[in-house]
Amino acid sequence: MLPWVYEFHWTPFHIIFLSVFFTVFMVVAATLTTALRRTAKAHATGAAEAILWHSDFEDLAPAARSCRHQFTGDVAHRQCDHAFDCRTCPLHRTFPPLEGRGVSPLTLQEDVLGFAMPADRMYHRGHTWVAPDNEGNYLVGLDDFGKRIIGTADAKELPPVGSRVTVNGTGWKVRTHKAALRILSPVDGEVTAHGGAEDAWTLKVRPAENGNGTEHLLRGAEVRPWIMREMERLQVSFATAGVGATLADGGELVPDFHRHFPKADWDGVLGQMFLEA
Amino acid sequence: MDSLLIPRGVQRTTFGRFLLWLLPWSALLLVGLYAIYLCLIEGLYHTNMDNRFAFGIWIFLDLTVIALGAGAFFTGFLLYILRRTELKAVINSAVIIGLICYSGAVLVLMVDVGQPLRAWFTFWHPNTHSMLTEVTFCLTCYLIVLLIEYIPIVLKNRQLRQIPKFLVFEFQLHKLMPVFAGIGTLLSFFHQGSLGGLFGVLRGRPFAFREELGIWPSTFFLFVISAAAAGPSFIMLTTRLAEAVTRKRLVRDDVYRFLGRVSGIMLIAYVLLKTVDTLIWINSTSPGSGFPAFEFYATRSFGTWILFTEIVLFGLLPALVLLSDRMRRNRRVLFTAGALVCCGVLLNRFVMTIQTLALPTLPFDAFLTYLPSWEEVAAFLFVIAYGMILYSVTYRYATVFPQEKELSMARADAAEAPAPSFPRRPSFVTALIDRFASSKL
Repeated sequence: MLPWVYEFHWTPFHIIFLSVFFTVFMVVAATLTTALRRTAKAHATGAAEAILWHSDFEDLAPAARSCRHQFTGDVAHRQCDHAFDCRTCPLHRTFPPLEGRGVSPLTLQEDVLGFAMPADRMYHRGHTWVAPDNEGNYLVGLDDFGKRIIGTADAKELPPVGSRVTVNGTGWKVRTHKAALRILSPVDGEVTAHGGAEDAWTLKVRPAENGNGTEHLLRGAEVRPWIMREMERLQVSFATAGVGATLADGGELVPDFHRHFPKADWDGVLGQMFLEA
Repeated sequence: MDSLLIPRGVQRTTFGRFLLWLLPWSALLLVGLYAIYLCLIEGLYHTNMDNRFAFGIWIFLDLTVIALGAGAFFTGFLLYILRRTELKAVINSAVIIGLICYSGAVLVLMVDVGQPLRAWFTFWHPNTHSMLTEVTFCLTCYLIVLLIEYIPIVLKNRQLRQIPKFLVFEFQLHKLMPVFAGIGTLLSFFHQGSLGGLFGVLRGRPFAFREELGIWPSTFFLFVISAAAAGPSFIMLTTRLAEAVTRKRLVRDDVYRFLGRVSGIMLIAYVLLKTVDTLIWINSTSPGSGFPAFEFYATRSFGTWILFTEIVLFGLLPALVLLSDRMRRNRRVLFTAGALVCCGVLLNRFVMTIQTLALPTLPFDAFLTYLPSWEEVAAFLFVIAYGMILYSVTYRYATVFPQEKELSMARADAAEAPAPSFPRRPSFVTALIDRFASSKL
């Protein structure tokens, strides 16, 4: 094995064989060391949140990854390949902004299939909303669809005041119906206040200085087709959760509908709806 | 009970039923463990091998599982080096199968060689002129690579990925996977080849001895190509078996068809080379050693039927089936062809080990017979039981088949959709009634 070990021979074959072995061994060791070194570095810079979302997004079912431009008919069929961050998507920039288009008033109605979706808010694919306030901050909350499918939470954990949240990073943590969920933050920034008694889910967030805005959030005419698709996804996720055929097409979600499906795999259903693997 | 460890959105059986499934395999594992204990502590007299019949069921099955486990390196090569992304659907399964096959083979080799406390001698004082040294080094290195490739599968477990360091490590390892896939391909090429070369250099065994191509006998290349042909077929079969046991669809049909096609291409190349190799051996190598080739097939047990079965029935036939797009679309035909490929590699390794040693080579030699002892059989059953347990546990708690969730949703979606209604073609009688009803009386 080594020159000073018994049975080592200074012959070309011996040298070549052992050199190849040591090279392979060194490459394996070096690659593993590189992975460990990068892990330590990424962990120190707080990249875990971004990696968690990246990993979750990769595991999403194709139906959950539809591009937002499918909702408005800009493209017939496309799957998002930018982890729902349109701010870095070159395709997104090629379409004119929604505000400039003639949008039918019907598409801006606030009641979408029985869900209250105010038109002055922007929506994140993980069922949260964002509304800018007069002071330049964001008000952030859970949308009506999200609240209705969560129902009465057993426990919820809001990001502490003063903590930083990032787009697609962890916002809220919820325990409900034997499911442990993380709800994605729709914006980058610092949490400055929690909502009051009126809406306990609401947060006030001061935008990050290097934040890239809200271009990735759904708005206006995109909301209705998006919610319709979400209803479809909910229907399918229920069917896989052992409930069978449910929710006749065109119906609305009944209040507190969890009670009707006590044996459903709520963990699976809510995980799919809140984009968590 | 263990629901928080199970991946989200997939259905698994209850914990109790899962334990019940593991029970017989655990019993088999214990019996195997006892046999291994006997062989290691009391010695190899527990086996039916001797100095004359030194390669028994262990080496034969070791060679087979190593060939079948080649799906791991070949799938990794196709996915990470040639970028055939459709294989993402089976890469985790391929890695687990590879790990089971290689770790099992190494374990059985350790029992076969004996004296595990001196196992490090082969590394510290290597005989670099021995094919077995190359095999030992490559197997060990590749086993390490497979273990590294297995880590991300485990770390993707739902609870483990909640630990940020594990999550980041899994991500970083995954990014470096092409390096491991490349090394795995290099190592597999050499150890599969050396296992074949081992028989090709047996000058004292003219049945196995082959001419050299460069520094390696032709069997070196035949083993590499046959393993690359059998590996994808074995992945196909094990995935189908998992589907049958779990009663779920785990992989889309196009992935099966792609694996079948890859297997078919490699197999036809193998059949052509094997045919040329056999013809050269019959007409030149064997007579050159003083043995007309037909003499080797004179015994009743190992007649020419074995050659026909190996090359035509388990070689040419499945190769032609797998190369046909129409045939591959029939799932039953596809899996039957895959099973024939695996049987082919099993038979080839049997011929190379058992038949080679059974045939007499000297005038005073007799035809040797060998039947494995129960300890030999049990030691190998240990590997099968260990494989079943490892695969089952990994399947339950990790995402082995990324398409599983999507396929179960598609199935549910289809179940939700109303059945398509086609206008029924009226039968002659109903047409007559309709006509009668619509006619004015």
